[in-house]
Amino acid sequence: MKESEPARRSPLLAGALSALLPGLGHVSLRQWYRGVAILLSFLVLTGIVAWYAEPLISWDSSIYPLLAFLAWFKFGGFWYLAPAGMWLWNIWDAASLAGCGRTRTILIPLLFGMMAAYGIGWQLVEVDFSAASLDRAMAIIRPMLYPDMVEERRELNRMWTYVSVPCSATETPPQARREEDGKVASATPDCAKLSEALTVSVSGMWPDTDTIVWWETAIGDDKPLGGNENAPLIVRTDATGSLTVVIHVPSTVMIAQPDPSLMLQHRVYFDQYRPLGGYQITSNGGFVLKGMMESVTMALMATTLSILLAIPISFLAARNLMGGNPFTLFIYVITRTILNFVRSIEALILAIVFVIIVGLGPFAGVMALAVHSVVALAKLYSEVIEGIDPGPIEAVKATGANWLQVARYGVIPQIVPPFTAFTIYRWDINVRMSIIIGMVGGGGIGQYLIQWIQINEMGAVGAAFIAIAVVVITLDYLSAKVRERLV
Amino acid sequence: MLRIQNLTKVYPNGTQALKDVSFEVKDGEFLVVIGLSGSGKSTLLRCINRLIDPTEGKITWDDIDITAAPPAELRRIRRQIGMVFQQFNLVKRSSVMTNVMNGRLGYANPWLSLLGIWPPTDKQRAVKALERVGIADKASSRADALSGGQQQRVGIARALMQEPRLVLADEPVASLDPVLSHSILHYLEQLNKEGMTVICSLHFLDLVHRYATRVIALKDGIKVFEGLPAEIDRAKFKEIYGEEAQEVRATTVEASA
Repeated sequence: MKESEPARRSPLLAGALSALLPGLGHVSLRQWYRGVAILLSFLVLTGIVAWYAEPLISWDSSIYPLLAFLAWFKFGGFWYLAPAGMWLWNIWDAASLAGCGRTRTILIPLLFGMMAAYGIGWQLVEVDFSAASLDRAMAIIRPMLYPDMVEERRELNRMWTYVSVPCSATETPPQARREEDGKVASATPDCAKLSEALTVSVSGMWPDTDTIVWWETAIGDDKPLGGNENAPLIVRTDATGSLTVVIHVPSTVMIAQPDPSLMLQHRVYFDQYRPLGGYQITSNGGFVLKGMMESVTMALMATTLSILLAIPISFLAARNLMGGNPFTLFIYVITRTILNFVRSIEALILAIVFVIIVGLGPFAGVMALAVHSVVALAKLYSEVIEGIDPGPIEAVKATGANWLQVARYGVIPQIVPPFTAFTIYRWDINVRMSIIIGMVGGGGIGQYLIQWIQINEMGAVGAAFIAIAVVVITLDYLSAKVRERLV
Repeated sequence: MLRIQNLTKVYPNGTQALKDVSFEVKDGEFLVVIGLSGSGKSTLLRCINRLIDPTEGKITWDDIDITAAPPAELRRIRRQIGMVFQQFNLVKRSSVMTNVMNGRLGYANPWLSLLGIWPPTDKQRAVKALERVGIADKASSRADALSGGQQQRVGIARALMQEPRLVLADEPVASLDPVLSHSILHYLEQLNKEGMTVICSLHFLDLVHRYATRVIALKDGIKVFEGLPAEIDRAKFKEIYGEEAQEVRATTVEASA
């Protein structure tokens, strides 16, 4: 310490003072700054620990004080060690300062502070790896490994028949038999209760072909019939194109039916597929492509729109142009403040606002991206303008050029390449942002993605992930290459 | 003949860069301006082509009053005055060729030049200028891909494009390796021998002795010396540069120029 006259005092007194009130010993040794700092950090640390580690078990509720203490200690009282350690260190530090004029390392209280911060932080964010379930993870990851993007082109041969569920006391059910194009499908009996067995058969189908037998409820929900009502039932037709199989009415077909005694017409389907050769994009795959195209276009539109606004604004936000007199400086400060304020609002939040203003869809996303890009680009552009080298401008002026020529040959070559580089970079960011923005209704692939996640269509989610990865990596690479060239 | 009368420059922040400086430069002279950093050398050179407007005083060039010239006439005057800078002042991202062509802006059709269309004769002139300074092979390189010495040669080629009668060189070798100094100054000397007037500010006294036909010295914006290079002896040197100055030589061995 650079005290001109080291205030040597009794270490005992200084220690006692600091024990009474942390930092008081230091203050008595005229170490004002250290004393106040110690007091403040002690108070903050104690406050945080007390706020978080309220004892869950009251002391007098137990007949065994030691057990009660241990329980209290386990449920957070433990963290009181941190302020206690800090308090002890403060006494030691004060005594040492009084005794030999040397302070002790602040590493120790720092360690106590970090112990409390990280320990409490760990508990507050509820880090709990035991909550993770590999089964649940696999349940969503496995279908994602079969992206719903392309499929074999194939031909469908379908037949179905009505079945009534449940049987009515008063009505006779219609006959569960249907003929079409030489195909006959039937079920016996004509009606059945939930989970009751039914014999269904079909003839006139393709011979020796796997046939998926499935149930469609009266309101059009698909129900698989195999396994434990969770897997497709696949039966092979014989050489004449017929099959007969016993099924059970799925237990969930009457969910949400207000009157469970009301007899309704359900259907049993028989589907056969035959490859036609070649591949085609699935319907979800088509949505992936459409969404991706929408996202990239949204980013392009937003970036283009934002350039038009960002260029004039960037001139207002460039200090070297606006610093000349108090009026322009005022405009500069206002512009900068607005830019910084708007820039702090994430495009995602803006998208939620624009969805309300202009409705769901890509336009809301474009507006959100555009507003965010304008402020981001204006700031980058203005920094380019601030970084213009006055040397070449001076040199071009000295050749007798007029001001347009000075702008064309002295200024523009300096700002166009970095402007372009930043713009491409922004477009790159906007493509990534447009994917997220779809999730709040701003159009693009994100909008499909969030819906697929919600209806557990993980195959389509997998396809969307692949499309996003391909587009983002490609753009990333291209924009990096182009920027490398320009700067 | 360039005549500078009572030139004074006070910057808006109050700095007095030049105080009542007067001198004359005859056609064909190689005038060197010396003085410490901040003594007003750069301001003086920039007043001559009015990159900086003087506060007071008058500059006349063959009966043309530069200080009173309206913008259009000023541009006609500027195109006859080539300028070479300490930091080369090239547009770094443009090609060497574009930088050299910039020297022709004062002569070109203003509208065509904005579109980047140049007369073929100007292009030939640019190739010749680059050949003259020995970097014709670098024409399509980006300016910042060149070394410092090469960049300064581009600067000279740009000045040559103006077909100048007067060349202002503001510390043309101060940013270069000392061994390159002679090669750059050699080009200026050649131009001078072809009849161009050269006004050049320099730091190293040995270069002054080697190239100058006449010297003026500035100290705190005041002209403290005017005369032949040989007249700068040890006492004069101390007077110009201050008591604590030590002479440093740019090169110990005379370049084989």
